[in-house]
Amino acid sequence: MLEVRDLHAAVEGKEILKGLTLTVKPGEVHAIMGPNGSGKSTLSNVLAGRDGYEITSGEVLFEGQPLADMETEERARAGIFLAFQYPVEIPGVSNMEFLKASLEAVRAAQGKEPLDAVTLLRRAREACQHVNLDQQFLKRGVNEGFSGGEKKRNEIMQMMLLEPKLALLDETDSGLDIDALQVVAKGVNALRSPERSIVLVTHYQRLLDYIVPDFVHVLADGRIIKSGGKELALELEQKGYGWLTGEEESA
Amino acid sequence: MTPAEQLKQNSVTLASNAQHQDGLAAHRGEALDKLRLLPFPEKKQEAWKYTGLNALTAGQLERVAPALSADADIASSIPSLGDCLIVVGNGVLTGQLPAPNGLSITPLSADSINDASPDTFFGWLNTASLSHGLLLKTEPNVKVAGIVHLVFFNQAQTPCHATNRLQIELAEGSELTVIEHYIGSGPILTNALTHIQAGANSRLTHYRLQSESADSLHIGNLQIDQQRDSRVDSSQLMRGNVLRRNDVHVRMLESGADLAMRGVFIARDKSHIDNHINVEHVAPHCHSDQVYKGIAGENGRAVFNGRIHIHQYAKGSDAGLSNNNMLLSNEAEIDSKPELEIYNDDVKCAHGTTIGQMDAGQLFYLRSRGIDAASAKRMLGTGFVNETLHAMQDEAVREWATQWLGEAL
Ligand SMILES: Nc1ncnc2c1ncn2[C@@H]1O[C@H](COP(=O)(O)OP(=O)(O)O)[C@@H](O)[C@H]1O
Ligand SMILES: [Mg+2]
Repeated sequence: MLEVRDLHAAVEGKEILKGLTLTVKPGEVHAIMGPNGSGKSTLSNVLAGRDGYEITSGEVLFEGQPLADMETEERARAGIFLAFQYPVEIPGVSNMEFLKASLEAVRAAQGKEPLDAVTLLRRAREACQHVNLDQQFLKRGVNEGFSGGEKKRNEIMQMMLLEPKLALLDETDSGLDIDALQVVAKGVNALRSPERSIVLVTHYQRLLDYIVPDFVHVLADGRIIKSGGKELALELEQKGYGWLTGEEESA
Repeated sequence: MTPAEQLKQNSVTLASNAQHQDGLAAHRGEALDKLRLLPFPEKKQEAWKYTGLNALTAGQLERVAPALSADADIASSIPSLGDCLIVVGNGVLTGQLPAPNGLSITPLSADSINDASPDTFFGWLNTASLSHGLLLKTEPNVKVAGIVHLVFFNQAQTPCHATNRLQIELAEGSELTVIEHYIGSGPILTNALTHIQAGANSRLTHYRLQSESADSLHIGNLQIDQQRDSRVDSSQLMRGNVLRRNDVHVRMLESGADLAMRGVFIARDKSHIDNHINVEHVAPHCHSDQVYKGIAGENGRAVFNGRIHIHQYAKGSDAGLSNNNMLLSNEAEIDSKPELEIYNDDVKCAHGTTIGQMDAGQLFYLRSRGIDAASAKRMLGTGFVNETLHAMQDEAVREWATQWLGEAL
């Protein structure tokens, strides 16, 4: 599904990712953990194709295709979904209008007919219910005036509608209370399937109590310095990151 | 002779040729005298700093617009927005004047014409070259049902000048909704002058839609005079073309007057739009609220000059003006300048202007959901002005405006 090989990436001329390698197979759930500033969001943005995030060497393949050749929207249409750490507010563009445009674009790329208005609305309402988001949010501007938790749930809601092949969740758990965390986890778990891959980016172990990963990776200073199973997350929880980053320094 | 002197001479000649013996002769003559005394607008004058009139050397001031050819298909280009349609083609009324209840619609005559022309060069040229004007006059205390849709259709193959003149008078306690709508194409200069008088306790909902094609030219003067407790709600939608200049002058002459004025102007490609707005609080306890949004893309150029003038005796004035602008390219340019002149201290006055690029984070967010860059930009542009369109009261106009916006972006 996703193949990241010795990826070096720079933001505004500053190298942030310094040789990152990661393989995600269909059906797998990976957690990428790491302290603040270690490059987690940079990785998410590089994968989604944000302007200004430049791949300086190495490569990223999605279903065998180099991502570097694809525009941001092409990646989304191919099935990559990024749940933003900080979802953007777009006043004046209604959530519903946005969902419609997004779904139409993604479905068209997959050779599917656009949904009729009634079906679209029904699905959007169901997705809202799934993440405990009041339907009124469909009428509001995209993320406009939403609380932190509402924004995160809106991301998951979009993910449920778009049914991506690869979902990248950038700190979707941070800033959520336990109830909201469970709602989000329920949404993500509902999407788990043998064809779909999920990459959870987080710096807390907490989310992984609810979404159990197959693999855990530790990202520090732009590199994955340790990989393991779900028990690695617990070990990190007990010992903190210093244990690993220290090991790295002395190595 | 400098180009400006030449254009001035052309204007005077154009107006002189328009003189003939009818009821309006004296008014035209006086306006012509006035015109002779005024200099032709040039960039060295502050009010014309950003708008040169070189485009007019193509000959727009040398010929009066010919009558529309009989086979001109006007009807198909007019959207159905109102309940009562009046069409003026190249300055001349086509068809019969309707007679809705509570409203008289008549040709402007010597007895009815409001002499207080906006004191601008093209305002005087309008009066000096006037032959057909329209007067809309309400009966007191009547709410005119439906929407009056006035279409000014100006079209020509060669450069020429069309005079459009509209006078709207609301009697005490009356209500009216009116659209003045400019459409057409070709290198014709529309010289439009609209004079609105809102009588005591009257309510006017006014739309000024300017959607001529990009090869046309338009210089407009809008004068609004408000009396005691009148309420005017005016929405102005403008698309850039070879030359577009609007001077809007509102005078709040008696206390309790209320003005809500909003506008959207869009300059794409090489088009030009210049808005000069002047709201004068002459009397105490009046309220004005203005919201203008501008978008410029490619090599488009827009100007917004918003002046609020609060007179010495206008205590308790409440005036607000906001002008937010969005640039779609690095080559586009918008110049926005608020001007406040306040001559007493019992005043609430807020103004703000911003100019920004389209937000890269918002654009990325939309694209990351599969929406292509062009559509995403269109959505953001629409979102930026949506609030202003939503504030327009009539659904038919709102729908037209949404479509218009989609085409413009
Ligand atoms: N737009 C940017 N410009 C410059 N530096 C940036 C930018 N974005 C992130 N960085 C830097 O990159 C490093 C990694 O940031 P980030 O990927 O956001 O980390 P994380 O998500 O793991 O907290 C930090 O040192 C941060 O300061
Ligand atoms: Mg981050």
